[in-house]
Amino acid sequence: MNTSTVTPEIATFAQSVRAALADLSAEEVDDLTEGLEADLAESLAEDLRRTLPDPVAYAAELRLAAGLPGRTDAGKRGIGNAWDDLRRQTSGVVQGNPTLAAVADFLEVLRPAWWVLRAWIAAWLLAALFGMQVGYGLGALSSIPLLVFAVVSIQWGRGRWQFPGLRGIVVAGNVIAVVALLPVVTASQSWDDGSEYNAGFESGLSSGYGGESEGLFFNGQPLENIYVYDAAGQKLSGVQLFDVQGRPLVPNREADDTQIQQTPATLETGAEAFNVYPLQITRMTWDDYGDLVPDPNPDPGKVAAYADGPFIKVPAVLTPPAAAIPPVSVPEKVAKPND
Amino acid sequence: MDATQLLKGVLDVAVLAVVEDEDGYGYDVVRRLRAAGLEEVGDASVYGTLRRLYTAGALTSYVVPSEEGPHRKYYGINAQGRTMLELQRKVWAECAATMNDLLAGKAA
Repeated sequence: MNTSTVTPEIATFAQSVRAALADLSAEEVDDLTEGLEADLAESLAEDLRRTLPDPVAYAAELRLAAGLPGRTDAGKRGIGNAWDDLRRQTSGVVQGNPTLAAVADFLEVLRPAWWVLRAWIAAWLLAALFGMQVGYGLGALSSIPLLVFAVVSIQWGRGRWQFPGLRGIVVAGNVIAVVALLPVVTASQSWDDGSEYNAGFESGLSSGYGGESEGLFFNGQPLENIYVYDAAGQKLSGVQLFDVQGRPLVPNREADDTQIQQTPATLETGAEAFNVYPLQITRMTWDDYGDLVPDPNPDPGKVAAYADGPFIKVPAVLTPPAAAIPPVSVPEKVAKPND
Repeated sequence: MDATQLLKGVLDVAVLAVVEDEDGYGYDVVRRLRAAGLEEVGDASVYGTLRRLYTAGALTSYVVPSEEGPHRKYYGINAQGRTMLELQRKVWAECAATMNDLLAGKAA
């Protein structure tokens, strides 16, 4: 009876006993539990003990008999114990289920990847602390925090560089890393790409004084012009559009601003207005000096498309909605820009 | 009287005694103790005691790998352990004699 098979229950039990001894040094735990599986298997095989005892009580008996100090967990009575219980229960469930056990085995291999990933997240969170300045303004030195975090994270993952209270820090850090994973990945994708970042920056810059990033959008796409038809389906020109608050509905002047430029209409007050449709569109090009200038040889088809609009005539309206609503007398309001 | 309470005090010498003639692994030692009549002995207590005696320098230890199952950790007594065992035998004999006399009502 020198060999006995170790059942998953025994493996789980031994694991739980080791977990309950986790505050001891690795050497002490090894001394106490080396051969534990074999002993338990044999003990169970002899039917002297049909069920496994409580692993925590078993561990307590072990350490008491070994003359080792009782569990030093005064500081982690509440959450620490609950966490340990949860781990034990989870590991019991996982070990009892072959599929989950296989998945756990597979994930075990990926642990080093997680150690690196959490270091990367930590480096990002540090960067966020410094306002996401590009590379903390240190250029190539920006990868130093990542390197430092990676080394520390891996050493901790391997059980090195231990100190009292480390486990709590690692657990808390892992929770933060998991929570921060998605935001950091999202942020890094938009931020890592320098061109996109710069484009965003420039657009923010120009909107700062030009207000050009504002204007009409349709289904998320900027509108550079509107073509207007009357009730009879005939093209109109010089139509001024406002919203209910009297704000002029200006086109989006950033739409293709390297290809076209809108020419504003001039009002009787002398002011220029962009909410007068359809606007005259000029096709642009870059000259030899890198300046944006009207295209001297514009594509006639495109010029005509902008000038003529999509339709010469559209179907006429039989029942204009305005006719259905009785006219209401509205207090006269003087429009500011386009009187 | 609770025999397990008494047992705790003498487990050291009991364990030393059962490995005196032949090395044994954890459960093997438990089995020998139970076969000797100490049926209440808890295996975790025995394993812990083995480890403590090993740390105290009274036992040697070696691991025997197994191809079919998990490996076993064997313990064997050494010179220091034998000295300790002899000493404790005397202490126990004196203590037991005193207790026997006391309980038999022969104490002076």
